[in-house]
Amino acid sequence: MMDLEELKGDWLNLDFDEREFEVKPDEAVDFARAAGETAPRFLDPSDPDFQAPATFTARFHGRRLLPEEFPKIGLPLDAGKAVMPKRPLRAGAKLIGKSHLHEIYEKTGRSGRMIFLVSRMELFEGQELVSIVDSRMVIREKPGS
Amino acid sequence: MTRGFDDVEFGEDLPELRPDTSVANVTLFTKAAGMFTGRFTDHEAARKQGLPGAIVPGIMSQAIFAAMIHRWAPEAELQTIDTVFRAPVIVDQPHRVTGVVTDMDDETRSVEIDLTLQNEAGETRVLGTATVRLP
Repeated sequence: MMDLEELKGDWLNLDFDEREFEVKPDEAVDFARAAGETAPRFLDPSDPDFQAPATFTARFHGRRLLPEEFPKIGLPLDAGKAVMPKRPLRAGAKLIGKSHLHEIYEKTGRSGRMIFLVSRMELFEGQELVSIVDSRMVIREKPGS
Repeated sequence: MTRGFDDVEFGEDLPELRPDTSVANVTLFTKAAGMFTGRFTDHEAARKQGLPGAIVPGIMSQAIFAAMIHRWAPEAELQTIDTVFRAPVIVDQPHRVTGVVTDMDDETRSVEIDLTLQNEAGETRVLGTATVRLP
């Protein structure tokens, strides 16, 4: 059985990926329209307050969800996503997304232990943190791992 | 219409939303989100992957939650939104989204909203919690 304290000590809070992104206005508008937004600030690029929808950064992902050498303890499944926007993102904004493992915890049920991994991407425009996206993955631990 | 913090009551239900989960709309979303896999837009391709049909991407359900909040309070400023993908949301099937105000903070003029996306059988497929600041 994997020692979670050891896993945390070895892998938490170490940047393992960095990638550039751009907020393209046509994509932001289609994202908002398909979701059902109705406000002009999300749908009309000529609106003086035009901005990408608050959860738009959830569409950005790094080259990998986990560090390259992370132990193979099972197949990670998508368990959820959290977004913490810090300020509106304008059309054409160029962002840098830096990823690290933010949290590791477990839940034990009748069918055994499940390990939750939270991969956090912090998105910066220049030096300013503009959004945080947490991707929560769950791994049903393989027997004997 | 502006809905400010003082207009909100603890326990208030947000107006229910019936999201557009048609193939055409999900295709619009997936192109905008750069998600190019048939599992979201092609029932047959999804079934070949062992799914019951094409599925709505999790981040689309999350964006639907945000849109529901903005329809209720157009000037709401989303501070956090956390979603749990409990079960697949099947494309082309009717769903309903509900929300309820579960906490209010006078100091920050922010409210917490619990959100649920259910299918027609009343089964919860996606859960969410959002914190929004209101004027």
